[in-house]
Amino acid sequence: MNGIFAVIFLCSAGLCLILDPNCFLPALLSGGQKAATLSLSLLAVYCVWLGFFQVLADCGLAGKLSGALHPLSKRLFRSTDKEATFLATSNLTANLLGLPGAPTPLGIKAVEKFCKAGNYYAADMLFVLNATSLQLLPTTVIALRIAAGSVSAYDILLPTLLATLLSTVLGALLVRLLCGRKKA
Amino acid sequence: MKYLSLLIPLLFIAVLLYAAVKKVKLYDSFTAGIKGAIPLIVSIFPYLAAILMLSELFEQSGLSAILTGTLSPVFDFFGIPPELSKLVLIKPFSGSGATALLSEILSAYGADSYIGRCACVCYGSSETVFYISAVYFAGVKYKKLALPVCIALAANFLTVVFGCLICRVL
Repeated sequence: MNGIFAVIFLCSAGLCLILDPNCFLPALLSGGQKAATLSLSLLAVYCVWLGFFQVLADCGLAGKLSGALHPLSKRLFRSTDKEATFLATSNLTANLLGLPGAPTPLGIKAVEKFCKAGNYYAADMLFVLNATSLQLLPTTVIALRIAAGSVSAYDILLPTLLATLLSTVLGALLVRLLCGRKKA
Repeated sequence: MKYLSLLIPLLFIAVLLYAAVKKVKLYDSFTAGIKGAIPLIVSIFPYLAAILMLSELFEQSGLSAILTGTLSPVFDFFGIPPELSKLVLIKPFSGSGATALLSEILSAYGADSYIGRCACVCYGSSETVFYISAVYFAGVKYKKLALPVCIALAANFLTVVFGCLICRVL
């Protein structure tokens, strides 16, 4: 990540220098401003879902669900830590359902737990599954299509699902092949 | 689609009812959960800010435009229409940027055109890889992300290729 950051940052900054030096600072500032406003709206979302998930954990439902999902998640994440795999599977479920904002706090906690246990393979796997977008109903796209006057806004559901399924399976396989070997 | 909006309220009602029956102190439990929100934001914030600054710089400096120009023929080779190359490049960095771009493409080419449908599939099946990597790994020391990030980017790119292909067939 350090390398990627350096390359993109320096190339962009260099280009700014040549084309329009005045755009450099405003660009950084507007990025910072976006981060500030986004953090506030994220904070609101996290409050809702973290509160909800705490209730879910305290009433024992979380434990039951994770028990039911454990055989599956054990294979997927190669982890025996029930709490971490539960967080990870709920993250995937929330993604699948497209619950806005819910996957992120779960995912962060799961990655934290996996890494603390030294299971980087699971963290990589969870990240790639998230980054290849698993969603049954792309709500934003449909809303935009309707706004643009589409006569069949739901037309893209099937192609999107097929494409995203392919990328998720491919990503998972690649993680298995490339990251799995280190600690096999 | 009406039923979908029922999902979230029903989920909350079901869980809170179950918890009440199990004699969980709802208010205490809910607030205890929320307590975790502030440290979570604090741990994410530096990474979020850095990535957003980077994506803004990438866009404003004109680097994204140049890359779009040079990569268009490559994208064309893979069957991705050149009109979409900017969307494909922006998506890993910025969700809101990609959303704005998608809505531009839809109003320019029409939502039901081939380009429009392709753009929707590309948008819907790819993710903001850099943003997710920044946020998910914010709390941990493990920063060897090059390999997983590359895997995610490659998978996302292939999805776009595949998505454009399906759009042509369906």
